[in-house]
Amino acid sequence: MTLKIIVMMKQVPDAEEIFIDPVTYTLNRTAARGVINIPDENALEIALQIKDKVGAEVTVISMGPPQAEEAIIECMGRGADRGILITDRAFAAADTYATSLTLAATIDKIGKYDIILAGESTTDSGTGHVGPGVAEFLDIDQVTYAESAEVVDDKIRVKRILEDADEVVEVPFPVLVTVLTGANIPRRATLRRKIDAIKKGIERWDHETLGLPPDWIGIRGSPTIVGAVKVPEEKKRASKKISLEQIPEMIDELFEKGIIKREDGA
Amino acid sequence: MMSEFDVIVVGGGPAGTSAAIRLAQNKVNVLLVDRADPPGSKNVSGGVLWGNDLGKIIPDWEKIIPVERLITRKGTTFLTKDSAISLDFSSRKFLTNRTGYSVLRVKMDLALAKKAKEEGAMVIGGVTVDSVARKDGKIIGIEQDGDTITSDTVILAEGANPRVAIDSGLRKPIGDRDVAIGVKQIYKIPEDKINERFNLSGNEGFAGEYVLGYLPDGVEAGGFLYTNKNTLSVGVVVSPSHLRNYGQMHSYDIMEEFVQHPSIARLVEGGRLEEYSAHLVVEGGLSSVPKLYGDGYMIAGDAAGFSFSNGLVIQGMNYAIASGIAAADTFIEAKEKGNYTAKALSDYQKKLEESYVLKDLRTFKGIENSTWSSMAHRTIPDILERFLFRLNLEDGLPKKHILELLLRSVSESGHNKTSLALEAYRMMRRM
Repeated sequence: MTLKIIVMMKQVPDAEEIFIDPVTYTLNRTAARGVINIPDENALEIALQIKDKVGAEVTVISMGPPQAEEAIIECMGRGADRGILITDRAFAAADTYATSLTLAATIDKIGKYDIILAGESTTDSGTGHVGPGVAEFLDIDQVTYAESAEVVDDKIRVKRILEDADEVVEVPFPVLVTVLTGANIPRRATLRRKIDAIKKGIERWDHETLGLPPDWIGIRGSPTIVGAVKVPEEKKRASKKISLEQIPEMIDELFEKGIIKREDGA
Repeated sequence: MMSEFDVIVVGGGPAGTSAAIRLAQNKVNVLLVDRADPPGSKNVSGGVLWGNDLGKIIPDWEKIIPVERLITRKGTTFLTKDSAISLDFSSRKFLTNRTGYSVLRVKMDLALAKKAKEEGAMVIGGVTVDSVARKDGKIIGIEQDGDTITSDTVILAEGANPRVAIDSGLRKPIGDRDVAIGVKQIYKIPEDKINERFNLSGNEGFAGEYVLGYLPDGVEAGGFLYTNKNTLSVGVVVSPSHLRNYGQMHSYDIMEEFVQHPSIARLVEGGRLEEYSAHLVVEGGLSSVPKLYGDGYMIAGDAAGFSFSNGLVIQGMNYAIASGIAAADTFIEAKEKGNYTAKALSDYQKKLEESYVLKDLRTFKGIENSTWSSMAHRTIPDILERFLFRLNLEDGLPKKHILELLLRSVSESGHNKTSLALEAYRMMRRM
């Protein structure tokens, strides 16, 4: 039996091209081009490494506007076999709860799967909720903060990077793994695969395809309420030009003012 | 064996996208490949588009391409350390004889790639083509990462640094004399401030070319300044051979000095630097044009060395578009006969010879010797500065005839009148 892998991918605005609107305090992303969320690239790379080693059918799913198709074609250009875009106006303004539910329903409809891979969080909202949320809705095991993963017999062996330790865990299928940013160097798409991807095309599913009631999705299915958005005030910083000889003096002054502290707390 | 595509176009600039649009409009099965994703997002140029040729494939191009301002004012300026000597031409005639617009290339090229896709071309970005594919000496497609993608004809439109054409032995490597280095900055400045500073209203625009006459002997560079809606495109173009001769000077130093020159600094003042880019500029004239076609391929745009510069007028995108369309039309005719040999594609050369593309390159053969000369970059600005300063200075002395002032400025500059007149005559003839 061929291993079935699903990669959850989001197209996000290029972080280098977005800025906070000084009046409305919202992210202005109109000028930004769409790119693959960076850790999702790393998740896809792990899926493709497993495919290279033991063979697998890799399906990329993405929820977003029609232009997210380009990001799915790019993933197929790198080696994914199938692409599904979940796109529907009814999904608009979904929070992480409604998004997790929608993605879980998508995976449920795909049917048979062994491994689900996703980036640990997105660069445009950064909650890290969606991976674990999908695992909960599907009621399967999950492993977070993965740096690498390989298939050993009928289990996945994952190396997790924690604050004070690295941890290696083995989990039987089906399992969901979230992958850290920079976990690997993603491969480049080839022209051959991109041509084939465009010829094959992607599948587009909406809320009717998934059989999701309108109350469960989009803004109506989202319990999160955004109270306010604030931009932290910029702290006033002082600057002073000093000569090389004055550095020890300066360090003493910084200790006195409590701006820097000794490691032993003295 | 059937090819997978009729045509593969390498490069998503004006030449490549124009070819792809024309081909797709004629139901040709065309693949356009660009190394950037999205296509065209790595492209750079000064930024004035003369759109006559684009009108042949996109009649309403002024709406499809996100143009910035209609050029109604053109300036040519000699800069010396202390002075700026300008020929300033602004005319309402440009409002009815619309020709040039300032453009921002990343937006423009993306719109052209999108248009190609809408017309039915397959457009793929983010992939670098390695070389052409050959069989029995004939070009049968391209190679990428070990795969061969076949087509009846390949159009190489890969720009000023045509790696595929060079690596495939279809043109000689780019030398010092074939290109110049362009450095460009984009400054954000409010629209009303731009209108105020450049004496413009509405979407009228200014395009200025500059001769940097204050640089050390042996380093020759030109500058440009174009107004966009709410940004300025400011840049310099310098010959690499000059930089090599003069070891202490870098292209970015010349860029910095240009924006700090008093007459430029006041125009960019308060602007926020938004972009900094550099690019090769085709400057070699006819001598750097390669063989333009062969069995199964044609070369268009910058990759073919198509550009024009006489110091007062600098153009490239229109030559790229015209050659892209000519290559497409050649293929469309060749397809009717099912013949893609060098003989069939030689029509491309014929078409270019009949159009301004090769006519201009022949008419202005050797012009690069005048535009990149000490005469244009130092002698003329120096004499003009002496002359105009003397003419305009009230010093309490009796006045003199203009010709006498001019001749005195020439002799003061240390030049022989006769040889200078001869050189100026030769230069005028070339220009």
